[in-house]
This record gives sequence, C-alpha cells and structure tokens, in this order.
Amino acid sequence: MTSPDRRSATYRDELARELAAVGIGGGLRRRILAEVADHLECDPDATLGSPDALARQFADELGTARTRRAVWTAFAALALAGLLVLAAFLTSGPVGLFAQHGRFPITTVTYVGAVLLVVGGQVAFAAGMLALLGSWSRGRGRLLTHSEALILQRRTGVAIACALISLVGLALLGLGRPHLGSHAWVIFTVAGAGVGAAGLLASVPALVAALRVQPAASGETGDVIEDLGPLAPPVLQGHPWWFALLVTGGVGLGVALLGAAASDPYDGILRGLLESAMCLGGFILLGPFLGLWSRHPAATTTT
Amino acid sequence: MWRADVLKGHLDGLILAVLEAQPLHGYAVIEELKARSGGQLALPEGTVYPALHRLEAAGLLSSAWSDGSRRRRVYRLTRSGRRELVRRRKDWHSFSATIGAVLA
Repeated sequence: MTSPDRRSATYRDELARELAAVGIGGGLRRRILAEVADHLECDPDATLGSPDALARQFADELGTARTRRAVWTAFAALALAGLLVLAAFLTSGPVGLFAQHGRFPITTVTYVGAVLLVVGGQVAFAAGMLALLGSWSRGRGRLLTHSEALILQRRTGVAIACALISLVGLALLGLGRPHLGSHAWVIFTVAGAGVGAAGLLASVPALVAALRVQPAASGETGDVIEDLGPLAPPVLQGHPWWFALLVTGGVGLGVALLGAAASDPYDGILRGLLESAMCLGGFILLGPFLGLWSRHPAATTTT
Repeated sequence: MWRADVLKGHLDGLILAVLEAQPLHGYAVIEELKARSGGQLALPEGTVYPALHRLEAAGLLSSAWSDGSRRRRVYRLTRSGRRELVRRRKDWHSFSATIGAVLA
C-alpha cells in the first residue's frame, strides 16, 4: 500500500506530464501543480479525476478563454488602426489619398502604398470581423473545440498581419504624397501608422498565449453562415457560397455606384468589378484556411 | 445528491457566490460548496480548479499566493465578479420562478 505522500507525488508527476502534453507549461503549470499539491495535502483521498482528464479540462477552459481574449484584443487594435486610417483619409485634403493629381503623378511608392492599404485593410477588416462574429456566435459561456479555436486564432492572426501591411501602405502614402496636405499631415500619417502598428503588435502576445494552449475537445468548425448565427437568413443556412456571391455582388455594386458618382460610370464599373473579383478571390483562397466554406474535419484530441 | 451534469452551467455562479463573503483557496471553495449545499453538490473536485482559472482569465476573480507558511493560491471576487454574481442571481430567480410557476 502506497503512502498518501507517495500517491500525491505520483499524481502530480502524471499531471505535470499531461499538462505539458496539452501545451501548459512554465509558471502556469507550476501554479496548477502547487494548487493540486495543497488540495491533496488537505485531503489525501480527494477525487480530482484522472490527470489526463484534468489536464484536458484546463486546456479546454484556458484555451477557450485565451482565444476569446485574443480575438477581442486584436479587434480593439484593429479598430484603433482603422480610426487612424480614417483620420488620415479625412484630413488628406480635397484630392484624396488615391486620386491622380495634375502636377503630382502617382509614383511607384504611392501606388504600392495604395495597394497595400486597400487590400491589406479589406482583408484585415473581413478577417477581424469574422473572428469577432465567430467568437460571439459560439456563445460566451460555451467551451470552444480544438478546431473552432484554431480557426478563430487563424482569423485573428491574418487580421493582425494584414492590418500591419495596410499601415505600411498608409506610411508609404504619407511619405509619397506630401502634396496632399501640410507637413503636419505627413507627420500625422506616418506617426499614425506607427501608433496603429504598435497597437497591433501589443495584441500579438494575447494571440501567442492562445496558440500555446489549445482546447482538446473535438468537434466541427462550421462555416461562415454559422459565424453569423442568428444574423444569417434561414435561406442561407448550409449555403456559404450563396452568401459569398451575395456579399461579392453587394460590395461590387456599392463600389461601382460610389465610383460612378465620384468620377465617371465606366471607372466606377471597373472599380466595382475589381472589388468583386478581390472579394470572391479572397473567399476562394482564404476560405478553407479561415473556415469560411469547408467544414473543418473534426480534430482529434491531443492526448 | 445532485450530479455534476445537472450542475453544468451553474458552476460559475456557485463559485462566485461562495467567494462573495471572503477570499478562499481552491480546497476551501470546494469545502464551502459542500457545506452550503448540505453535502448535496457532488462536484468532481478537479472541475473546480479549471473553472477558477477561467473565471480569473475572464476578470471575474483575482488571485494571489497567501502569505502564510503554506503556499496557497487565494481567490477573491473582483468588481466585475460582483456585478456578474448579481446578474446571475437575478437570472436564476427569474428562471426558477418561471419553472416553478409551470410545475406548480
């Protein structure tokens, strides 16, 4: 018959291994083991459950909490970056950030900056919104499965990366188009890009923390319609491609109308078609990675 | 005695409630749950620790090592935790009154 001390030590050793297996290490693992040791000292006959089940429960709880926090933290940083881009746009003067200006032709730097700003910004906005919607539609009190958490983390990572690219584009535009505003505007734009980037980088540790501890529970991810939850019309249930075509058409039409009103109808239509192609291309290319249209295969548990 | 699956969804509220009066370490939280329920809550003890960590991650609890001779993590309600407890109590009273009205 083993002594209570020996049983406690064996349990803690096994729990330490299982915690490491689900990605819980360092100070957090030491803390959990210390709490368990104290518990077993208070009650040597305590029923804490099997070490692997307890470790998986920690992974489920902490993986879910960390993933949700990463999503919200990144979204706050994205919102700040979005506001800074908007402020730069609104203060850029009557010519605007992207328009050709008679005496100041668009240079390669400004062209590259504009492309990075527009493409990066749109992908960041879409990925960030999808991460937020995905977290919201899966209920605050519900534990995420391994594949659900992974998809939300990917969306968050893509949103942060693309927002950073977008801010590089903003800085290039600021440096490349000083004629659009005052010297102060150039400083504001470049500094704004820096502040936005700092905010985004500050959100990265939350994402890294989430990536370290993944929920162990298996289950399917769903698709973009499930992300929308009650916001999705019933007719779209199970038809993510219909949703993609609707969004693509709507965005293209909106851009075409705005472009036509701002310049000429042909230019507007061209911009609308380009926007639609980008939107649909993003859905096709990033769809499986971001869990938009293919049901992610059920993940196996990590034990 | 109430089984764990019946208590699912209520554990967070129960933990917040027992921490309302005073800060407690994990083992004491479990003992307090047993004492207040007259031994009717048969929680697997291991489930309480992940829940404590999750509630702390959500900002509803804070924790610190105790100063005593024994190394213990002591949990206490935060201001958000108190607000959440008030909300959960209100929801529970509303829910139980509704179910009670139907069952009666």
